[in-house]
Amino acid sequence: MNRRAFLSWGTVGLAALCSAVAVSLGAVCRFLVPSVFYEPPQSFKIGNPADFPFGPPAFLADEKIFVFRDRDKGFAVASAVCTHLGCTVAHFQSDQRFHCPCHGSEFGADGSVLHGPAPRPLNWFEVTLARDGQLRVDKDKTVPSSYRLVV
Amino acid sequence: MNLIREIWQSIVRRDPLSTDKGKSELVFLNVWLHIHPAKVKKENLRFKHTFYLGFITFFLFLILLTTGIALMCYYRPFPPQAYQDMKDLQFVVFMGPFLRNMHRWAAHGMVVCVFLHMCRVFYTGSYKKPRQFNWVVGVLLLLLTLGLSFTGYLLPWDQLAYWAITVGTNIGSYAPLIGGQLRELLLGGHSVGEAALLRFYVLHVAVLPSLIILMTIVHFWRVRKDGGLSRPVWKLTPEKAEKLVTIGAPAEAVALSVATASKDKTYGLMEVVTGKPIFETITPEEEADTVFSYPYAFVREAVVLMATVTTIMTMSLFLNAPLEELANPAKTPNPAKAPWYFLGLQELVSHSALLGGVVAPALMVLALIAIPYFDRNPSRRPCDRKWIIWLFTFFVVVNLVLIVVGTFFRGPGWALVPPWVHVVSGAE
Repeated sequence: MNRRAFLSWGTVGLAALCSAVAVSLGAVCRFLVPSVFYEPPQSFKIGNPADFPFGPPAFLADEKIFVFRDRDKGFAVASAVCTHLGCTVAHFQSDQRFHCPCHGSEFGADGSVLHGPAPRPLNWFEVTLARDGQLRVDKDKTVPSSYRLVV
Repeated sequence: MNLIREIWQSIVRRDPLSTDKGKSELVFLNVWLHIHPAKVKKENLRFKHTFYLGFITFFLFLILLTTGIALMCYYRPFPPQAYQDMKDLQFVVFMGPFLRNMHRWAAHGMVVCVFLHMCRVFYTGSYKKPRQFNWVVGVLLLLLTLGLSFTGYLLPWDQLAYWAITVGTNIGSYAPLIGGQLRELLLGGHSVGEAALLRFYVLHVAVLPSLIILMTIVHFWRVRKDGGLSRPVWKLTPEKAEKLVTIGAPAEAVALSVATASKDKTYGLMEVVTGKPIFETITPEEEADTVFSYPYAFVREAVVLMATVTTIMTMSLFLNAPLEELANPAKTPNPAKAPWYFLGLQELVSHSALLGGVVAPALMVLALIAIPYFDRNPSRRPCDRKWIIWLFTFFVVVNLVLIVVGTFFRGPGWALVPPWVHVVSGAE
């Protein structure tokens, strides 16, 4: 084997080895990403409109959402997940604000940040009327805070 | 009888101790003796020069390893069962509370000792050439210790655990570019649930322990290779200090004898050694200041081991590891506080998640790693290192102040509340 052959075959071999390592690493990373998620669906029904009272919002613990019902304007659904680091905010009726217990973020009635480290306003989710007359919330679809479903 | 002797020899691999060869092989073939130098400098054995912090850390790690394996026998990493198993460990399992307490106090002790060990190494200037890389290994060991602590307190699946995973992985999601994927990879999904607990369990009992054991071996090996413990600088005359920091055999020392290469043999690069050794050597005139590792170093290590185990056991008899309520995704405790060693970080993220949770810690770690390469001043004398000592002390004080503020001065809603004010948290 001469010098030229050694170098060219060596380059080919090295390239093959590097790509094999790269492909294997990629496969390991892909392996760690689940192909199936055994998680609650992002879109779900929360019950009949009549189940929800007027006035203070209903807090649905499992879904981590607040359901607001206004006499004239209708339904709106706000996320209870703080946009800072994901703690569950509480809605205080006294000042009509959302308070996060973890790092003290405060959100106004429309979800806007009033105080604290939260970088974004609270999310509002689309709420629609399903065919069977129940309310359906889709967490994948965020809407402006002015969004209302009039039933 | 011959067979028994043969079996015994196949295990210990040495001649009988009645022979001189057997006696020397007892030393050569014993790994614990082997990783020690034959002789150590007397003053390096003094408690006040190192406080034995490295050894204490290592022994705490051994306690964690053994108690951790014991606890694994009663722990299932699935959401509702995990918490029930903790309750079993508290009330049903024989010695369960004691083992769990030992695991907890050893873990807290390890965080403290790793940090103090780092301070000791810094203030004695022991990270300087040729020990720069071992300092970096040490920083990685500090990070692995914190990683093991974090993944560890998630496992009970109580309120603390659930909200720590939530907050911790959300901090990760602020990392630029990879943030979102990083969080999904850690959680094994989009929200904190079964998959997340399993992944943190795998990290805690398999991935991180393997890494920390590997790095510990490198750390110990480099301590030996870099010339053993660094000598207290005030023990040295000025010209002696010069020599030790410039490392290698003294300039006037005889070069290593070199065998003439044979023309008939092709030598690999690794077989060629030129120049002087790159580690501190004990010169004949220093010989008087040294003692044999066995038994002088060994006895001290055994005493430290026993003192460490006794302290942890005594603490575990009287102080119980806390366990909060079962994880409740709907209700965040108020205030939701991490264990004390992460409250500095929590104080930082309470101002900004990106700056305090990602940028500041990353810069701190990079700064720590950079110290030995940035501080090129070869002197180890404190009077020659004023700037860097002030800088490092500032870093230590800032961290301590953040931890103290997070621990004692933060009340419900992370509001600034002095510890002497009692807050009755109103049920809203």
